[in-house]
Amino acid sequence: MSRVLLIALLVSWVACNVPGQAIGAELPRRIVSLAPSVTETLFALGFGDRLAGVTTYCDYPAEARKLPKIGDFMNPSLEAVVAKRPDLVIGVAGVTDPVKAREMERLGLKVVLVSVSNLSDILAAIRSIAALLGSEKEGEKLIAKIAAQVEDVKRRIAPAARRSVLMVVGFQPLISVGGKNFIDELITLAGGDNIARSAAQPWLNLPDEVVVAKAPQVIIEAGMGSEWGKSVKRWGDLRSIPAVREGRVYSYSSDKILRPGPRFGEALAELARLIHPECFASPSSRKRSEENRCESPKP
Amino acid sequence: MKVLNRRKMIQVNGVLFLLLILSVIGCSLLGPVPLDLSRAFENLFAPEPNAEILFRTRLPRVLLGIAIGGGMAACGVVLQALLRNPLACPQMLGVSGGASLGGILGLIFFPNWILPIGGGLLGEISWVPLAAFLGALLSMVLVYRFSLFHGRLHPYHLLLAGVIFNSFIAAIIMFLNSIVDFYQAQSLLFWLMGSLSTRAYLTVAFIWIYVLLGFLWLWAKGLSLNLITLGEETAMQLGVEIGSVQRQIFVASSLMIGAMVSVSGMIGFVGLMIPHVMRLIVGSDHRLLLPASFLAGGIFLGWADTLARLLLAPAEVPVGIITAFFGGPFFLFLLYREGRKKVAL
Repeated sequence: MSRVLLIALLVSWVACNVPGQAIGAELPRRIVSLAPSVTETLFALGFGDRLAGVTTYCDYPAEARKLPKIGDFMNPSLEAVVAKRPDLVIGVAGVTDPVKAREMERLGLKVVLVSVSNLSDILAAIRSIAALLGSEKEGEKLIAKIAAQVEDVKRRIAPAARRSVLMVVGFQPLISVGGKNFIDELITLAGGDNIARSAAQPWLNLPDEVVVAKAPQVIIEAGMGSEWGKSVKRWGDLRSIPAVREGRVYSYSSDKILRPGPRFGEALAELARLIHPECFASPSSRKRSEENRCESPKP
Repeated sequence: MKVLNRRKMIQVNGVLFLLLILSVIGCSLLGPVPLDLSRAFENLFAPEPNAEILFRTRLPRVLLGIAIGGGMAACGVVLQALLRNPLACPQMLGVSGGASLGGILGLIFFPNWILPIGGGLLGEISWVPLAAFLGALLSMVLVYRFSLFHGRLHPYHLLLAGVIFNSFIAAIIMFLNSIVDFYQAQSLLFWLMGSLSTRAYLTVAFIWIYVLLGFLWLWAKGLSLNLITLGEETAMQLGVEIGSVQRQIFVASSLMIGAMVSVSGMIGFVGLMIPHVMRLIVGSDHRLLLPASFLAGGIFLGWADTLARLLLAPAEVPVGIITAFFGGPFFLFLLYREGRKKVAL
């Protein structure tokens, strides 16, 4: 008798719940982000207010700084994540510790890892995060905005000849962006050729002699220790490098470019402006320089 | 105590010195990019790629590598004797930890400060190695204070104080590493791994002066070191002023290590392995062992760094990986051969 009752109960529970879940699949209200790029994506989609926890590295937009922290992006604290009682945890594949992700799942959390290792991955990540929040439309809007930024850059630099570029992200020793890195793709889109593209590593320690031999036409220093004015000095003794000779050594101090998130369109425009400044001249000065600079800066 | 065999001294060091000169030339000619020598020499002072590669990037680097390899090996020899511990190495003294912490603080707080030398006429030096050297000096004083036992430098205490001080510093470094941002943390890590990358002849000259003076100071204590390895009491009975010798060796090697780590970070294994290898080859008379180790250490690190530039070209491998990877098995092989020799006897 009790068994029948139990089965009946069970059946009614399943009957009530399965369709219920399918219909009203509750959209996540408390989200924990395990990476700065994910936090930025959520804010860009307009869901910043649903974030219940972010990493200590999440500093953009400014509101993100005020959110509760759950540890840094390599080492999120399992306890802190669980304590936020999130109904969705979003991390980054290859960065978020898979063992920790598994443990969170075991504790009943819904964990999604997005991949952001190249530009199409970043777009796909935006799309899937938007889908998780049930607002595919917002996702498409954001992607369209980024695509428009990319198109604008492409159109502006179209007439210019490509320039070889060294992108530095650290000194002592010199660390540069290699191939297999979304920044390498950004450099390419911005009309540059990364001199360290042949390297298999995404980041690599480049000996000075390789820089001299590759003779970059533009040197961009991003990340730590980049400061206007200092960069030119740093390279001053290697005047055979065209970038040094022609004064195309720049500092780019925003970490926008280093972050595989929704601001990459903006970063691309800024990068292209450094590589091909003549293509971004203001309309008045542009007339002057259009034919002789933007269209024919051949080495 | 055996009389120093002058002929052996001249032969061994002569051969090693010749090899060192050949290594400077060889290491300067080899690299990830091919070099047109005639163009390099024709354009000595012109902005020409071949000249810049040879004289501005490779040569200072090779010269720095040789000074640091030699200095590390020489410090390893005297520390192994002073502490009477075969595992003693320059990284053990606590000074390297202090230098690393100083350098890290420099990298975090003033990565762009530059100190002009001689009003900028002699070039400029980054504050990072200066901060590192300051850290080395401070830690030298601290470790020295902690190693005093009844008013005398005690080898056992020195070893313990150095090791514990280093682990304490390592904890601080890991803490700093975990509070700075991600990219800064990566940079700190690369700096800690050590690199001989330099273009400043001024820095190279400073290191050479430091290392050479330190080396001569240590070499002058060669005979006393021979006696100390026999045991403190024996040394004292034979007239060695043991307290003074220990203090001098500690100060000289600390200054050398501090300067070296400040510029190149922690390049391990040279200071541990080269003294043992050379002891197996030339014997343990410090008057011979010290210069031989200096020369061999220079040769070894020079080639290790060349390999570091070549192995994964265009990327550079941290030179500490090369020293351990190629030095370790070679050392084990020598150890094995030595073991068999004794059995055969």
